[in-house]
Amino acid sequence: MAKIWQIIKYEYTRHVFEKRFLFSLLSLPLMVILIVIVVVAMAFFTVDTAPIGFVDRPGFLSDAAPPGFKGNLFDPAIEFIAYPDTSQAQAALKTKSIQAYYVIPESFPEEREIALYFLKAPSEEAQNQFSLWIRQNLETFTAMDPLILDRLQNGSVFTMEALDGSREMRQDQWYLMLFPVVAGITFIIVVLTSGGYLLQAVVEEKENRTMEIVITSVTPAQLMVGKIIGNISVGLTLMAVWLFFSMIGLSIAGQFWPILRTISIPGEMFVIMALLFLPAFVMVAAMMSTIGAIMTEMREAQQISGIFSLLFTIPFYAMSTIMTNPNSTLAIILSYFPPSAPITVLLRMGLTTVPTWQIALNILILVIFAVLSVWLAGRAFRLGMLQYGKRLSLKDLFSKQEAA
Amino acid sequence: MSVISINNISKRFGTTQAVDQLSFDVQSGEIFGLLGPNGAGKTTCIRMILDIFEPDSGDIQVMGGPMTDEKKNHIGYLPEERGLYQDISLGRCLTFLATLKGMPEKLVEAKLVDYLKLFDLYEVRDKKVKELSKGMQQKAQLIATLIHDPELVIIDEPFAALDPINTQMVKDILEEKRDEGKAIIMSTHQMNQVEELCDRILLIDHGHSVLYGTLQEIQSQFTSQDILVSALAPLPESIDGVASFRQVNGRDLLVLSEGAQPNQVLKQLINQGVEITAFEIAVPSLNEIFIQVVQQQAERQNG
Repeated sequence: MAKIWQIIKYEYTRHVFEKRFLFSLLSLPLMVILIVIVVVAMAFFTVDTAPIGFVDRPGFLSDAAPPGFKGNLFDPAIEFIAYPDTSQAQAALKTKSIQAYYVIPESFPEEREIALYFLKAPSEEAQNQFSLWIRQNLETFTAMDPLILDRLQNGSVFTMEALDGSREMRQDQWYLMLFPVVAGITFIIVVLTSGGYLLQAVVEEKENRTMEIVITSVTPAQLMVGKIIGNISVGLTLMAVWLFFSMIGLSIAGQFWPILRTISIPGEMFVIMALLFLPAFVMVAAMMSTIGAIMTEMREAQQISGIFSLLFTIPFYAMSTIMTNPNSTLAIILSYFPPSAPITVLLRMGLTTVPTWQIALNILILVIFAVLSVWLAGRAFRLGMLQYGKRLSLKDLFSKQEAA
Repeated sequence: MSVISINNISKRFGTTQAVDQLSFDVQSGEIFGLLGPNGAGKTTCIRMILDIFEPDSGDIQVMGGPMTDEKKNHIGYLPEERGLYQDISLGRCLTFLATLKGMPEKLVEAKLVDYLKLFDLYEVRDKKVKELSKGMQQKAQLIATLIHDPELVIIDEPFAALDPINTQMVKDILEEKRDEGKAIIMSTHQMNQVEELCDRILLIDHGHSVLYGTLQEIQSQFTSQDILVSALAPLPESIDGVASFRQVNGRDLLVLSEGAQPNQVLKQLINQGVEITAFEIAVPSLNEIFIQVVQQQAERQNG
């Protein structure tokens, strides 16, 4: 166990302290920070915070409470200034002390029409604030039950429920569909990163001729387990750091977009994701080890692994079909095909109720393939490790006879 | 005490019989030469000792029993196909390899400094391995082989890429290890080094044992009645009992007739007033024995 730990530590640290890894590690947070900076800067330079005037001819708002809107960076609370007549409001508009002004006509109580005057149209958010303030003060609404008023003001939220009651989804739970896509992309990145490192680790062992020294200190199984765990940990570190920065990014963004604060991913989705991803990681790692052990040169190994990696991205190519009909034959087939299973099952879960037995079967298939892949990798490793400069053929791999 | 005891091991790869009914043992406190032409089965034999391959038949006892993970910690191996991790520093590479031999990192740190200084690599310990010369990498490999103070050292061509000074240093270290009671198996094609260092040898060809024993025993098997003579003046043209003679390295090699005795020839030369500075039985070099035996084997295989 101590030796496996040494191999894990060696494999992990040799990548994690490399400039290339630090670059990949920081690329996402830096990109998020850059986007946030750009968006904030755009908001700062484009959002007009100047007050909006209004001429209230019927005196509709004369006793009204001030607007209660708190505002945020992208939708700042606008000050509404009352003017006794349009000429004063017009003068204020010309001097740009206000960005626009409303005229509430005498006929407003009957016709419910208000005119807006501007040189440059105020933002939709600013208009909504005034509209909300007006609605809050309409007699019809002031006497209303606050719950009904809220529904009228914010609109309805539809909840779809499965006939058997097994699942319900609210209209505002858009993130449940987005989550599998984001998780899938992260999975692909981690798979490609860890797999690439592992491939490099195994091929280098042959290219550097270090294999023969190492296997006189540890068993091939210990070496392989150490390499797989070490390199998967590199990918998981990447994932954990990105998740951490994403959480920070979301909590910061939630300050500006209240809708983000409603995001809540069910715990069972995380559990199923872990059960799907873990055997998939092991399978990828074992397959990469097999390719590394069979091939002699890094370039050659990368070509083969590139084709292999494509299999994991199939669900993205078939995404429109899966999203349109998550229970289609194609979606179900892709759920049973080990390389495409993790992402397909998650995508389907975001859109429909996948029967528990199907999920269990998908996970079981993945576990079986992971075990088979590890067995194959162990064999390729044992047979190919000392075949310097010689590619191990599939015949050699499955033949009973040992190669010299 | 036998550190390695091998009984009738055989190994076949496809149609090739790499090792065939091979038996030998290696004692503690000896340098054992494992010799043979290319493709003779030496590397396969070493890999079977190290449990990289399993023999098809026969038995291998290492340190009193079958190979275990614990025993691997007491073996130092310098393979023929050797290399180091190229993209990391020399210090880190050697530390990693030493910890795989079960050494605690603290102990590695202390011993590594001594070894790096001994092999004149201390100044380059932070350089990447790929930036070191071939000779430096060879010395680093020897450190990886010896740093954990193994009971059994298996080295394949240990002097390759070393200059004469480093060759001498490695020879001194190997002799020191032998004196400490370690068992050393050395595989090399440099017969002069074998003659100088090895206590016993095994010559294998086509997987078979061809010669096995101490150097003296083997050389005596090939010693003829030929005599090497050095004299201050040219030797007489005709000497009784001498069939022919020729110059070898500035000396005269006398090939005796059947039944002739070296002491009779010496007596004659003295009686004839030849001033002799050296007179010895011509012992064949290991190189000559190697070539002779391997050629005989080839003829036997072909014929």
